[in-house]
Order: sequence, then structure tokens, then C-alpha cells
Amino acid sequence: MNGQVLSLIVVLAGILLVPFGLRAVNGALPGAAVRDSYLPSVETPRPREPFDQQSAHAVRQAQPHYVVIGDSMAGIRIDPRQLSRLTNTAVVGLYQQGSPVAYWYLALKNLVVENDLKSIRGAVFFFRDDQLTTQVQVAPGSLDRVARDREPELDRMLAAEKLGNFSAVHRVARNAYQYDRTRVWLEPLINRWPAEIASPSDPADLLNAMNNEVFALAQLRKFDASDLAASTDDSLDFHANVEQSLLPEILRLAKAHGIRLAFIRVQRRPAADGPPQQSDALRKYADDLKAYLEANGAYYHDDWGDPEEPLSLYADGDHLTAAGRVRYTELFAQRHARFFQ
Amino acid sequence: MIFHSLDFLAFFVITLAAYWALPHRAQNVLLLVASYVFYGWVHAWWPVLLFVTTFVDYWAARKIADNSRPRDLETSRPQRKLWLWLSISANLGVLGFYKYFDFFVDNVAAAGASIGWNIPHVALRLALPAGISFYTFQSMSYTIDVYRGHAPARRSFIDIATFVSFFPHLVAGPIMRATNLLPQVEQPRRFDAAASRDATVLIVWGLFKKLVIADNVGVIANKVFALQQPEFYVLWAGVFAFAIQIYADFSAYTDIARGVAKWYGFDLIKNFARPYLASGPADFWRRWNISLSTWFRDYVYIPLGGSRRGPGRVAANLMITFLASGFWHGASWNYVLWGAYHGTLLVVTRWFSQAPSPKLEAATWRRLLQAAAMFALTCIGWLIFRETELSQLIADLQLSPADTTPLGRSTGLYLFLLVGAYSLPLWVHDLWAEFRGPDLVTAIERPEPTPSWPRVASQAALCGVLFAVILVLRSQTALNFIYFAF
Repeated sequence: MNGQVLSLIVVLAGILLVPFGLRAVNGALPGAAVRDSYLPSVETPRPREPFDQQSAHAVRQAQPHYVVIGDSMAGIRIDPRQLSRLTNTAVVGLYQQGSPVAYWYLALKNLVVENDLKSIRGAVFFFRDDQLTTQVQVAPGSLDRVARDREPELDRMLAAEKLGNFSAVHRVARNAYQYDRTRVWLEPLINRWPAEIASPSDPADLLNAMNNEVFALAQLRKFDASDLAASTDDSLDFHANVEQSLLPEILRLAKAHGIRLAFIRVQRRPAADGPPQQSDALRKYADDLKAYLEANGAYYHDDWGDPEEPLSLYADGDHLTAAGRVRYTELFAQRHARFFQ
Repeated sequence: MIFHSLDFLAFFVITLAAYWALPHRAQNVLLLVASYVFYGWVHAWWPVLLFVTTFVDYWAARKIADNSRPRDLETSRPQRKLWLWLSISANLGVLGFYKYFDFFVDNVAAAGASIGWNIPHVALRLALPAGISFYTFQSMSYTIDVYRGHAPARRSFIDIATFVSFFPHLVAGPIMRATNLLPQVEQPRRFDAAASRDATVLIVWGLFKKLVIADNVGVIANKVFALQQPEFYVLWAGVFAFAIQIYADFSAYTDIARGVAKWYGFDLIKNFARPYLASGPADFWRRWNISLSTWFRDYVYIPLGGSRRGPGRVAANLMITFLASGFWHGASWNYVLWGAYHGTLLVVTRWFSQAPSPKLEAATWRRLLQAAAMFALTCIGWLIFRETELSQLIADLQLSPADTTPLGRSTGLYLFLLVGAYSLPLWVHDLWAEFRGPDLVTAIERPEPTPSWPRVASQAALCGVLFAVILVLRSQTALNFIYFAF
């Protein structure tokens, strides 16, 4: 064989073979206790953050009638205490900034349905455009705080979604190289050492303060760059996406436990002279979604084009100002009073 | 289709296998079809625009050539000019329509409103086809080169279309010249295993820069630039993160493009030459986005008179060129401001460097000081580039290091160190190549005739380690290549 061809093969072999060293490194380092993932079809065993018992306990203590679930779109719109006062009910907000729909599903399942809430009546989800049916995949570890030891429905759904195209390649590579396991111990090391230099006395405190103070929701402005990408027309075929999404499972779960559901599509940032533009495809998607939800007994409301939500209510991106939040909660209680009866 | 997807890997392997099994002319047809598939992968209508641009330029170049016969060279000059302007207008028209129409309408409406006129607002909010700024400039330069007599007009539409659409560099450059890439399209190519081996190293290095460095520090930059009122140290840590992100991201694309092209037997030019080690503004622009800088130099700055007509005119030429370059990046005033900032830096340093410039062989410590100073100036430029709102930019520039909290200082230091850690391989590579050399990763032009086995072994180990690190530390937040937006 030509020497140059052989040298090319050697380099290609290096790419495929050297990462097997990760297995040896994983084995040599003690690391954290590895456990089977709650999503065994899509993740290798890895250490995990524990389920957030404190939050579950707090929700249980509050014994809410209603929960509001979502990411910053919900958090920046609804003040649960104000909504409690206005509707004369107990409302709890289960917000997680930047959380995927899978997180909302697990919050509903583990913090509401399976949390011994005796007087729960309903759950309200806030979402953007096509988020309910397109945001499927999740980053390893991002659901740890709301996931139990086994999450079979979610696992089945994610596995089914991954069956297409090259999921087998990912699965083989993940099992062969065990890189997920390396990531679990290596990434915290990388993130922690600068904290030990920047705040030698209490590095953990610095990391918490950064998350809870410096980068807290209230400190944020433009989400144009870090925001979820605006919908593209390609993802807007509702009927093609809905069965691969968690929406049917959320509806089934709520129905089985007598929990009424409300879905509120938030209005993206309006223009100075009116509501934000939306394509025909997005309009059709919203119509299809509404029909589907209502056929399944859920309450649906679309904020798009609401004259009571002008640009002046918005701080940045799709987020409202503090005063806008108060106004929105007020409007919300008035408009959806029926849901809270 | 994006380079760091398994879709692309499958596409690459399949087309490559077919490509080397075909004769030369069929290879070009395959490349053309593959390029259009690549470009239309997400939006099937994008290739239509690409085809129109290509056809207009092909046709205009043919017409220019038809009117360039020596016997009636003078009399046919107006016709040649007409065809040239048709080509330029078509390219800039398409670019202007998709990229700048809304910007123009928004600004006219805002200007009208400021004097009490209610001008109808007819913004189209069209999606910008990826890479349109790159391929229109490349395609247009072909007609200009034909007009100037630097390149002959080609008869083969397939060759021209392959030149314009060649998929490795279609979406984010480097912008290739007809004089460079077209002869490669026309010449028979042969598979070179040594070149492919070096290209593989370049591709893996590019993937590492994109997925591990750019995307991880990009998340930090996004977080900082999402803050309403960042403190001084936090803001500049974010700017540092963005400086690393844009360099790692854009140079990664170029590296992968060059590596992929090399597998098909093509040489694309180097687009980056360790820009953050530049000794000054002029040096920076010799190292950053080289294909675009030289494009503006050859097609804007020199036709304006270049450096030939006195200091005042040179300054004006530089400012015009950099304003245009800034505007090329996007339909937003901050890009124009960024261009003006770099133009001003060049004009000012030009005035100061009327005296003999420092020798390139200056002591290493002195070079490092120059590089550090230029990097600081570059970072100010990146703040302008990244910050799209003028009021926020002004607020950012007014921040004082004295007016900070202990948490702000600790957070700034934390982010700075984290970005430093992620970008360490990039700095090590660039410093080594700059001061010790040779550049073992990105220099792929001349592979040695027989394999040097220690070098091959180190390449295999390097690629394997980089791939392992990609698997483990690739960012969980996938960010688009920044220059896709331009």
C-alpha cells in the first residue's frame, strides 16, 4: 500500500481509536457515583443531581389550586401572589428560565400530579409559537431536578424521536466512548476552578450568586441573541410534529388526574405600530394547535394582537417590564376568570 | 446543511466516493449538483437565487468578452461598461433587496417620523439567504475581473456555476477569486492522500474550535450581552468571550471549508493568520478575514485611488472602504460604526507611522506588547460590533472600573478565566505558529512527498485527542456559525 494512503488511514484510525481512552480515564478516576439514567434509551449511566425534594415540599406545603408552568415567558408575565389575590385561589409558579417542554412535563408530573396536592384544579402553560411541539430534545442533566429515578414515558418519547436519521450512530458512539460519563465529572471541574481563584473563600457561593443575582431574570434585557430562535416555517406543520411531542402525554396525564389545563401563547415583541408579524404558516399552526387542544378539553388563548399588550409593556425581547408584569397578571385574571372558577 | 452534523458527514462521504470515481468533467457536474443540494438543504428556494446570480454574471461576462475584440476595443467600451454595470446592479440589487431593504425602509420611516411625516412602512421581513453576501461578491468579482482583462470569460456555464456555488466555502467564505478558483475547476484533479491527511487534521481542528471553544464561550458572551446593566468587569469579560467566539467560530468554518475542499483536490485560500497577534490595525486587516479584506482593497479601495492621491484622499478612501465593509456585515448602524472605528484606527495609525515603522523582527516581548494593545483595541471594536443598540453601547462605554461591586469583580474574573481556559488551545496554537513555527495544523499547502511517521503519529494522536474533547466538552447549546448571518 502507498505510504501516503497508509498515513491517511493512521490519522483516521487515530480519530476513532484515541477516544476509547475516555473509558480508561473514567475507570481510573473515582468520580461521583454513577447511576442509571432516568432516560436509559438516550443516556448512558452517569452521576445526576438529585430530585429537588425541597421544591416538591414547598409546593406541597402551599397546596395550590393552580400552578403556572413555563420558562421566562411565564415568569415575566405572571406574579403568582398577585394572581392568587385576584382570583381568590392559591397559585404557585413553577418557572425555570430557558427550560424545555420536557421540563414542564416533569414539573407537572412530579411536582403536581405525584406530589399529593389535594386541592389542585388546574395548570397553566405559557409558551411561544411552536414551542410545544418542536422543542423535544434535552441536554443531559437539565431535567435532573424535576426527574424521578425512572421516567418511562419521557424516555420512550425521546427514544422514538431519536430513531430517525443517525440516532444509532449517536447511541453506538455514546456507549463505545462513554463520553457522557466523562462530561459529568469533567465539566464541573472546568467550571469550578475559576471560581476557586475568583472567590477563594467560597467558590460555591460565587457560582450561586452569579446565577441568582448577576444573571437573574430581573437583570436581563435583550433576549434577541440568547433567546429561543424565532420559528421557521419548516417547523410549523402541527400535525406532523404533535405526535412526536410531549403534548399528548401532558394532556393524558392531566386528564387522568382531573387537572384542567390552559395553554397561553404569548405575544412576541410587538412593533411600534402593532402586533408582531406572523407568517401564514405560523397562523395556520396556531389554528391547528387551538383546535387540537380544545378537542382534548384544554383551554387555549392566543395573546397575539391583543391591544392591551402594546410595546410599552415590553422591556426587551419578549419580556415585559416589572409594571407590565403587574398589568399582565391583572389582565390575565380578568380575561380568564372562568378558568379559575 | 451544517458542517458539524452527521447529515453533512454522510453527504461528504457519498459525494466524495462518487467524485473520485468520475472523470474530470463529470466531477464538476457532480460538484455543482452537490453544491445546490447542500445549499437547498434547509430552504429549497435559496438555490434559485444562487442560480440567477450566477447566470447573470456568466452572461454579462460573455457579453463583455464579445465586446473586447482588439479591433473595436475603444468603440465597444460603452457596451462592456453596460454589461459590467448590469452584473454589479444585479448582484447588489439582490443583496440590497434581501439584506438592506427593511433597514432602508425602517430608517426612512424613522427619519420621516422625526419631522412629523407619516411615511408608509412597507418592511418585508424576508429571511436572509445564508451566504448571500459571500457568493454575490465572489460572483461579481468574476465579471469585474473579466472587464478588467484579468480573467478570460469562460464558455462553460457548468464551470462558472461550480466556481460560484462550490459548497465548502459557499455559505461563509473564504471569498475566492475567479483567477484562483476557476483554473482549479477547469484543471483535472487527482486524489492526494497526503493532502487529505493534512486536511483531516484541519477539519478536526476546525470542529474543535467551533464546538468546544466558540460555542462554549459564545454562551458566556450571550449571557453577558443579555444583561441590562452589566458591571464593568462583567461586560469586558463578555467582550473577551465574544472576541474569542467570533475568531474561533469564523476561522473554524474556514478551516473546515479548506479541509473539505482539499479532499476534493481544491486549495482555498487562508482566511486568518493569527489576527489577535497583529501588531497594529493595518497588520490586523492583513490577518483577519483576509479574503474579504483583499476583496475590498482590490475592488473598492484601489479603484477609489488607494494610497496614491495625498494623505487627505487616502484617509477618505480608507474610511469609505471600511464603512462599506462594516455595512457589508449587516443592515444595522452598529456595523457601520464598527467599520468607521476600524477605518479611523487605520487613518490615525497611518498618520503616526509616517516615521519608519517598527521592524517586524522586533523583540518578542515588544511584539507581544503590540499584540496586546491591538487586541484591546480590537475588543473595543467587537463591543461595537456585538452591541446592536446605540444607547446601550454608550452606556457600556461609560462604565467605570471604579464603580463596581465585589460580586461584579469576582464574576468578571471568573468569566475571564473560564473564557481563557476554553480558548487556551487557540492561544497556544497561534503563539506557537507565530513565534516558533511551523504551523502544524493549518498549513496544508505543501504536504511532504513521503510521510514522516513521527509527524503522522502526532497528527493521529492530536486528531484523536481533539475528537475526544469534542465528544466530551462540546457545548450543549448549539450556536449557528456567526457569519451565516452575514
